[in-house]
Amino acid sequence: MNRQDKIRNFSIIAHIDHGKSTLADRLLEATQSVSTREMEEQLLDNMDIERERGITIKARAVKVKYEAKDGNIYDLNLIDTPGHVDFNYEVSRSLRACEGALLVVDATQGIEAQTLANTYLALENDLEILPVINKIDLPSADINGVRTEIEEVIGIPAEDCPAVSAKTGLNIGDVLEKIVTDIPAPEGDEDAPLKALIFDSYYDSYRGVVVYVRVLDGDVHAGEKIRMMNTGAEFEVVEVGYMSAFGLVPADKIAAGEVGYITASIKSVADTRVGDTVTDAENPTKEPFPGFKEALPMVYAGIYPADGAKYPDLRDALEKLQLNDAALTFEPETSIALGFGFRCGFLGLLHMEIIAERLEREFNLDLVTTAPSVIYKVTYKNGDVKYIDNPANYPDPDEIAKAEEPIVRGNIITPTDYMGGIMELCKERRGIFLDMKYLDKTRVELHYILPLNEIVYDFFDALKSRSKGYASLDYELDGYKESKLVKLEILLNLELVDALSFIVHADKAYARGRKIAEALKDNIPRQLFEVPIQAAIGGRVIARETVKAMRKDVLAKCYGGDITRKKKLLEKQKEGKKKMRKLGSVEVPPETFMAVLKLDEEQPKNFCTKGMLLSWKTSVFISTFRSV
Amino acid sequence: MENLGIYIHIPFCVKKCAYCDFYSMCDLSLREDYANALISQITSFRAEAKNKIVDTIYIGGGTPSILSGDQILRILKAVRKIFKVSGDAEITLEANPGTLDPEKLVAYHEAGINRLSIGLQSADDKELSVLERIHTREEFEHSFLLARLEGFQNINVDIMYALPGQTEKTLSDTLDYVIGLDPDHISFYGLNIEPETPFGENEEIKRLLPSEDVQVEMYLNSAEKMEAAGFFQYEISNFAKPGFECRHNMRYWKLEEYLGFGPAAHSFFDGTRFSYAKKLKQFILLPCQRSNLIETQEKATVADSALEFVMLGFRLRAGIDVVEYGERFGDDFEARYGAKMQPFIEKEYIMKTKNGYRLSRRGLMVSNYILSEILDFSQDSE
Repeated sequence: MNRQDKIRNFSIIAHIDHGKSTLADRLLEATQSVSTREMEEQLLDNMDIERERGITIKARAVKVKYEAKDGNIYDLNLIDTPGHVDFNYEVSRSLRACEGALLVVDATQGIEAQTLANTYLALENDLEILPVINKIDLPSADINGVRTEIEEVIGIPAEDCPAVSAKTGLNIGDVLEKIVTDIPAPEGDEDAPLKALIFDSYYDSYRGVVVYVRVLDGDVHAGEKIRMMNTGAEFEVVEVGYMSAFGLVPADKIAAGEVGYITASIKSVADTRVGDTVTDAENPTKEPFPGFKEALPMVYAGIYPADGAKYPDLRDALEKLQLNDAALTFEPETSIALGFGFRCGFLGLLHMEIIAERLEREFNLDLVTTAPSVIYKVTYKNGDVKYIDNPANYPDPDEIAKAEEPIVRGNIITPTDYMGGIMELCKERRGIFLDMKYLDKTRVELHYILPLNEIVYDFFDALKSRSKGYASLDYELDGYKESKLVKLEILLNLELVDALSFIVHADKAYARGRKIAEALKDNIPRQLFEVPIQAAIGGRVIARETVKAMRKDVLAKCYGGDITRKKKLLEKQKEGKKKMRKLGSVEVPPETFMAVLKLDEEQPKNFCTKGMLLSWKTSVFISTFRSV
Repeated sequence: MENLGIYIHIPFCVKKCAYCDFYSMCDLSLREDYANALISQITSFRAEAKNKIVDTIYIGGGTPSILSGDQILRILKAVRKIFKVSGDAEITLEANPGTLDPEKLVAYHEAGINRLSIGLQSADDKELSVLERIHTREEFEHSFLLARLEGFQNINVDIMYALPGQTEKTLSDTLDYVIGLDPDHISFYGLNIEPETPFGENEEIKRLLPSEDVQVEMYLNSAEKMEAAGFFQYEISNFAKPGFECRHNMRYWKLEEYLGFGPAAHSFFDGTRFSYAKKLKQFILLPCQRSNLIETQEKATVADSALEFVMLGFRLRAGIDVVEYGERFGDDFEARYGAKMQPFIEKEYIMKTKNGYRLSRRGLMVSNYILSEILDFSQDSE
């Protein structure tokens, strides 16, 4: 057996909540007996501060050792993938670094939209797919049903696939054996020039960017001069090594077939784009690994500090986040209503929510976030073509020759019971039905072309509420399409509020305008004067609501000289006021700018269910692999 | 010698009203022990009494008129023994109709009570029963006339507006009725629904409340009616015949000193605000162990006091005297508040007076809003 024959590189793919992280934890636990002793020896020699505080290291890949039934000890490299549609490209790069993937399917739920989306991605990348049926400890588990479903829907054999409970650890050994016997070993050319694929990177304040790579050909060692083939950036390698469950373990070199890290005093993750190819600067490989794409934002929103004086803090915070997130873009922006802020670009809504939440939580900023917008393509009458990511900059109708909006291909998987309601929803959202496929007697997969701006506009909430949470959506961008678009403007107290403007399809403008006016009425607290709210298109008012003037706000009772209580009450009221944004003369709570998005369905919710958000976070921000 | 006010809390009620969140209880068996504990606590204040002259005493509750004439007499005697009480001191007792009888009134009068504050709240028996008051309009009238008969020449009547089911008509009838009795002072408070009361948990009651617009009309029209009848509005909720303004309550608004006795009582003494815990039994057992009884205590800085002066001064019809503000706190009122007040002055929520500023009646109605806008809480940290 040669060196590479004892390596297995694999990912775990699954729909949200099907147990990906738990399975990863179990696999690490099961392999710990072999690896702990060896890794501890290595770690003891390198006990610097950051290794001690292993928590700072973001483990997106980990190497463990496994003694198989054939008596050989194998290196298993588990590469994590983010499990959300916003990060499809990252997922595809992670998969490219592997030869195989464990496809986890919940024995009680069966195949879901992301199961399919991820499977297709894995198949596109020529991976060996190993189905694993999870949660067999649950009473409602239907192992045989799910086996049949995997064979019929995905078309891969599943009769002898492992059926496990990642929660209890039942049958985990079967999974490890299958990895060794069924996933092919890597077959890199050890003598060829260095060719390594970047599948992740993160910024570390001690060593600069730590780049996670899969070495395809050749090898890489400290002191070597490397080049990022797509960005052209060149660096001298400081250290290479492996990712263990305990942190980074330096090594002399990492070679073909292996997964490891490189540090090279790199200042920004912008130089280490996921999907780029690392090669030897002096003896480069001929062709970069195919398929490199720069991750491009699909959704834009204005982010403003609630307190205008915090603008520099917001800039610093965005810069810090960008160190670790090349997909986040931002540019200074000024709004008449909101002052100085940034126009930020995101991969999708989840990405946007995560960034906003991190800004608030990790950097302690109070933010006002405007409604997200997609990028419209406008052809002017003079022939100019512009891409417009901010509704405030959308031109007057008489300047426009042609307006186009981005569209996506959406796959929705739903129990047949909710199919009618969901088809209705897609129709309301201007969806074009392509086709449908029954997955089994109870579930169906619907294919639609949908305008992206309809998805941005509370589509996830609507989908969840019309399917009692059972339907799932997956989508990918599918170009631009001409559309009748108009700019809807909002006036508060007769003053235009630029930050509330947005673009909408002409046929829906009236209904949307009315709903937004109503939502604003419910969100804007009463002022000392009456506040008219108007929705207008091209200066023509299409909807009007009024926030009545406040006339009574008094607590006269001041009992037995208890001055303190009264004072505290007023102080609290004042604190509440500080959070308000002043739009002209009207005070508005910061949530107002997002509230206009959430109009259609009864239940106000986040864009994504908490489960989706948490699950993604668990896999990214918290080291998934802290199993000990 | 400096003037001082004394507040004495009587935390007993025959029955708790459905809207009330003041501290009181219905176990009346503790009354005698409580009166004795009060006397002990008062007696322990000999040191503080030095160089002070008490010119107002206010016995509030709860229902102070639940105590016997003798108990009130002994409590006031204790005050007189420890403190120097001026000859023309205003000595108020809060009384509930239904707890008064001729003997009690005579005894109160002889004990030195010279001002009675009688809680009527409404002259509509249906409204009284919704509030779960223990008396009817007739019983109130009986108590009021009896008090006059026994020689009380300074009587306040409490009225409430914004009651569940109340209309502008029933309120106006209540006012006409009270004005007809010719009291000397009227307290006119809006019902505030407190969360931890039976009303706070009763959605049906909340549904019956008059709308905000009606409440405002009630307040404005009632104020005009009382003023037309000779009751001058000197504070946000208080109306009095000339010379009958409540001197004790004015202390609160003018940031003058007062000592409170009994659980839940508040004090402002020697620049410090402190309050006692709402623990009746502990108070009865150890009425003199101040450190155990005190729940909150805070030394007021000059900045604290300046802010409180503004907060409280805007309750008054006389408003804030900017010269007095400057002299008391060494701060420039115009510089601190001028710009912030401007929009409210333009809309006539704040009015200029000869010596400063006051809130208009419309302004009083939204005084929380205005104060939370203009008050400078960061002043504390300067």
